[in-house]
Amino acid sequence: MEPECCWTKETVTAAECPFISPDETDLFGSLRRRLVAKCLECPRFAADLERMAREGRPEASVMRILIDEFLLQKSRLDTMIGFLDSRNMEIQFLHEIGALLQTSLLELDEVLSVALTAITAGKGFGMNRAFLLLADKERRTLKGSLAVGPRTYEEAWAIWEEIGRTDFSLKEMAKHFHDTKLSAEKDKFHDILERLTVPMDDQRSILVRALQERRPLLVHDAFHDSRVDPELAHTLDVDSFLILPLLTRNRRVGVIIADNFITKKPITHEDMRSMETLTFPVAFAIERASLYDRLHEDLRKLTVANTRLQEQQELIVRLEKMALLGKVTSSIAHSIRNPLMIIGGFARSLLRNIDENDPKKEFLETIVREARQLEDTLSEALGHADSMAPVLDQWDINELVGNVFGEVRSRAEGEGIAFTLDLAPDLPMIRMDYRQMAYCIKKILFNSLDAMLPPGELTVTTRIDGDDILVEIRDTAARPARGDGDMFSHPALEKRDETENLELSFCRVILENYCKSFTVEEYEGKGTLYLIRLPRKKEEEHHE
Amino acid sequence: MSRILVVDDESSIRLLYSHELADEGYEVTTAAGAEEAVEKLRKDDFDLILLDIKLKNESGLDLLQRIVKERHNLPVILCTAFSCYKDDFSAWLADGYVVKSSDLKELKQEIRRVLDKKSLRNSPKHRV
Repeated sequence: MEPECCWTKETVTAAECPFISPDETDLFGSLRRRLVAKCLECPRFAADLERMAREGRPEASVMRILIDEFLLQKSRLDTMIGFLDSRNMEIQFLHEIGALLQTSLLELDEVLSVALTAITAGKGFGMNRAFLLLADKERRTLKGSLAVGPRTYEEAWAIWEEIGRTDFSLKEMAKHFHDTKLSAEKDKFHDILERLTVPMDDQRSILVRALQERRPLLVHDAFHDSRVDPELAHTLDVDSFLILPLLTRNRRVGVIIADNFITKKPITHEDMRSMETLTFPVAFAIERASLYDRLHEDLRKLTVANTRLQEQQELIVRLEKMALLGKVTSSIAHSIRNPLMIIGGFARSLLRNIDENDPKKEFLETIVREARQLEDTLSEALGHADSMAPVLDQWDINELVGNVFGEVRSRAEGEGIAFTLDLAPDLPMIRMDYRQMAYCIKKILFNSLDAMLPPGELTVTTRIDGDDILVEIRDTAARPARGDGDMFSHPALEKRDETENLELSFCRVILENYCKSFTVEEYEGKGTLYLIRLPRKKEEEHHE
Repeated sequence: MSRILVVDDESSIRLLYSHELADEGYEVTTAAGAEEAVEKLRKDDFDLILLDIKLKNESGLDLLQRIVKERHNLPVILCTAFSCYKDDFSAWLADGYVVKSSDLKELKQEIRRVLDKKSLRNSPKHRV
């Protein structure tokens, strides 16, 4: 038998095998490759086989079986290769998105742009529309946040035409969307996004259920599916849609709804599984962006609080200085008023008893008038000073010392000085001006820190001693010896800023006013003990 | 004749008060400090005390508390060089306050007011 097909020849010409295309010329010279690629599906070869079978040749039926099996396996292999190719592309795509989400995006809107572009772009999952709902901060409501896609056929064609003209990568598409379309898309879908909002404890909502069950849900017949709220079906206005929960390990971040509103292309379980893979990096990226936002907000609040704190501290310092100024003014005025009163008083007394024609009468009148004028001036000054006078009240000395400790500690630590507190429990309240007492203790501590070198020790102790409460401040500053034990008149202080000297002098005035005693004990080269003895009055205990 | 005890650490002020109040018809006794005042209160009866808030090395307000505790019917007028006494609640125990001035008119008025109030309180009608 002369075969109709060229399958018995090692080499053939184009005339002998019309099925070989111009880009397959290598098949002309290779029987093996030509047989597999062309002959097994060639009608001439099939005709040869049939003829062989009619002639009763046994190899014909065997070859038919082998060829059928071969073609079946080849078909399976091609399918598998196609599947692997698509999987490979999907993995590459997910890798690209994952890298994009995790490496560069920190703003929430950027993350959302990438996520929704990936779902709707032809280079991505190719869905027509995607809606993103995010859980609010309190995790009480799922709120429609962003949507992407066309609302009409005309718009769809325009979008796809534009995409066809440009050849953007996914990253470029997401950036383009973020930069030019984000707010417009939000406005465009505003009505739908509003209607999609749902409380997170609404057990009937299929969106909430997807979050609770932690799995995507595919709806095929929305208008007749009992799981779907009719309002949701009408809002989306599609039969088939996909719900993708966005979850991190222990948080419900939100939900993505995707559909093919324009093309009506069926959504498969395969699509669902592919897009489910996308939701994990998206959820983490959204969570990270939210945390980043919160961090920014906290940082801003902290900066504002810090600025306010600094302003308050400056204000306190100013008030402290004003109060001290007021106290000094009051003290001076008090010293002046008594002698003034005596001069004026006696002048008045003499004036009352002097003869009308006595030439000294005019002198006495002058003294009375001038004394009166000075008294008026003094009253005015004292009125001002009174407003800055100390505000006395019952305070916990331990609380005061603790607060001062908090203010001084960081400086001590920064200078390598060990700063410790040893506070006796249950001390009674003491009557004092909190601001002024805190000011004095702080000044003493700063004075000690100024004189100390690391590794030094600074200790504040409170304790009861008989009827008194003692506040002991002990430092290890190696000061040179001085005779009178007066820390505020030490020559070292003379080198200091005059303001600081004045402040320390004010401390002594204040402490001497409040305290039963204030003493400074120096241990040459070893340190200094400041002892503030405060009275613990019986009647004060009754108030507690 | 009403008897007044003046307590002030300034001798000139004691002298001025003595002179001026005697002219007003009061019998005036003076004390330079708290202990001396307590001693005189033990020995004699007084109708009124004029008390300086700031005595040398001691507080007039402490003395005021002792007087109120031991002789609660004895009125006290506090004299002060400035109005910081308002910050101290114990100053509220006094029957009157006067800011020191070379013009003693206000002091004399306050003395009359407090003594009138005292005599009214001690009258038989008031006691009923």
